[in-house]
Amino acid sequence: MILRYSNVRHRLTLWYVSVFGLVLLLFICAATLLEYWQLSSRLYHAEVQDIETVEGLLAFAPDGSLILHEEYHNHPEHILLLDRYMEVMTPEGQVLLRNAKLRWQDLGGPPFPNEGLASYDKRSVRLRDGTRVLLISHIHTIDNRPLLIRLAYSTESVEQGVIQFLGLLLLAVPPTLLIAGLAGYRMAYKVLLPLKNMALRAETITANQLDQRLPVENPNDEMGYMARVLNDLLARLQDSFDNLKRFTADASHELRTPLASIRSVGEVGLQRLHTADEYRDTIGSMLEEVTRLTEMVDGLLSISRADAGQVALHGTIFTPLDLAREVVGLLGLLADEKGQHIQIEGNANLLVRADRMLLQRGLANIVENAIKYSPPSTMIYVRVSRSETVDIAVEDSGATIPEDLRQKVFERFFRIDASRSRDAGGSGLGLAIAKWAVEANGGSITLQAGHDRGNRFVIRLPVV
Amino acid sequence: MNILLVEDERKLAEAVAEGLHGEGYAVSLSPSGEHALSSLRHQHVDLILLDVMLPGRSGFEVLADMRRAGFKMPVLILTSRDSIDDRVVGLDAGADDYLVKPFAFPELLARIRALMRRKLPAIFSSLQIADLTLELEGRTASRGGKKLELTGREFDLLEYLLQNRGSVVSREMLAREVWKQVMRYTPLDNVIDVQITRLRRKLDGEFQKKLLHTVRGVGFVLREDEP
Repeated sequence: MILRYSNVRHRLTLWYVSVFGLVLLLFICAATLLEYWQLSSRLYHAEVQDIETVEGLLAFAPDGSLILHEEYHNHPEHILLLDRYMEVMTPEGQVLLRNAKLRWQDLGGPPFPNEGLASYDKRSVRLRDGTRVLLISHIHTIDNRPLLIRLAYSTESVEQGVIQFLGLLLLAVPPTLLIAGLAGYRMAYKVLLPLKNMALRAETITANQLDQRLPVENPNDEMGYMARVLNDLLARLQDSFDNLKRFTADASHELRTPLASIRSVGEVGLQRLHTADEYRDTIGSMLEEVTRLTEMVDGLLSISRADAGQVALHGTIFTPLDLAREVVGLLGLLADEKGQHIQIEGNANLLVRADRMLLQRGLANIVENAIKYSPPSTMIYVRVSRSETVDIAVEDSGATIPEDLRQKVFERFFRIDASRSRDAGGSGLGLAIAKWAVEANGGSITLQAGHDRGNRFVIRLPVV
Repeated sequence: MNILLVEDERKLAEAVAEGLHGEGYAVSLSPSGEHALSSLRHQHVDLILLDVMLPGRSGFEVLADMRRAGFKMPVLILTSRDSIDDRVVGLDAGADDYLVKPFAFPELLARIRALMRRKLPAIFSSLQIADLTLELEGRTASRGGKKLELTGREFDLLEYLLQNRGSVVSREMLAREVWKQVMRYTPLDNVIDVQITRLRRKLDGEFQKKLLHTVRGVGFVLREDEP
């Protein structure tokens, strides 16, 4: 874990330095090229200026030879004078003048056609002694005679300038990269620090401390987002864990109660001699508790099978109103006993696709619940209607369940009032079974307050 | 009539065997599939009660072997696995019926009677016990010459109780046979209790001699003498 983490840090730094170095090199190349181009162009302009000067100083002597009036200069040691290479020839190629710097080497060989005619022709030439020069040529007319003047300076200064410039820049590269690397390494550390803190905290979280959360340093950045996502996950885990814990506690209580009765009834039955009728009563009482246990285990198995996704559904298309009539037909007797009346209303043309048997079981549990908790001589309504879904609503006139408990009534073994429910003979699983029966069919079930009083259970099923 | 009970759970096997003895059946026990197969070769058996979770080979495999060996007597599977798939496997392997543990003893008796009845179907036009008569054609019931006003469901319930007169019927049996519900669920038990109470009021209310009795923890029975 720690190794991987530091690897990411090294990798980040390496990447950062590599990219930075590459950009730096590109920049140096571009800057050097620019410097070279600038120096060359400066040399060219100096040569053009010089050739103009030279043209003014050239003249034919009375003997017909060409001379350059160098005495014109105030400072004969001027660099332009000392380093100048110059050759003057006729356009046909007859050399009229070569200066001393050339030491009688030729400058650029025979002339090209139209050389220097239009403007200042520029080219790079290597002299016999190996010196590289920048040469410009220009045609100039003196005493009606066209003369091709060639003038050049060594490019050595340009090359040296560029190399110096490049060397200076390259010298700055290693320290720059080092600084960038250190900064990047430090930055990677800072970026990864929240991750490290999260990992350290996560290592300490166990099943018993699920209430702990990961530190969120900046809720708006990516790390903060991840921390929030993980915290949500932890919250859901904690929820499931709490549910499981409560379920285990409830289940052991609910399973132990009938076991305790069986045991004490049996033990008391054996304490002394009873009549046959008394024994029958004892055994019957034990069997009743066994039935209760069996029902509870069956119910729990159904729900856990649903939780594990092991319920094989046998979906058919049918009219929910028919299903409601069927359920009320089965359970109407219970309402009748309490003087209650169940009214069924709704659209007979609506269809749903579901496992009919399973849904019937779910609806029966809800209708029975309504009968059980509604006072005698009241009305219970079962309404089938269409909204975005197909809704089967069961409205009773029992005591309205407080809002904060409405989700809980669907939990296994949840009882609003423990003593009352057990008297009514419930296993505490009815609504939990109803919930899974509906959800297994792709629907949902909610509990709302009734219109003026009572409760309203709504089963929502997808439209066919 | 001889019943072979193949069950490795000794306590359950002995209890069931004793119960069946009490009903007049001859019962032999086999703790394993191999033992059962050899028993079948040495004695006459009319019906087999077969557990699925046996040591060694499962009840389904044993059943398939029995059918291959040519034994054609009815087989009732007993198992604690109640998924639909298991039912299908059992019936495919050649079982005639399927009962999930823990079962109610009256239910087992009823299933055995039903499997036996397959051999000799009996059709009655009326059923009778003491001074109670049920006319199946006209769906009327009378006691002591006086007509009983029964609802359709009450008549069905009484008919089923009368068909099984003298034997206890459980709520599971009533849910399946009278209410025609494949799946048994808690609310239905309450409905059955209320329905029985109402039937009892009409049937025994004005009469000295009570016919419909509740056997606490087990079910209901229609019989003349007090239990």
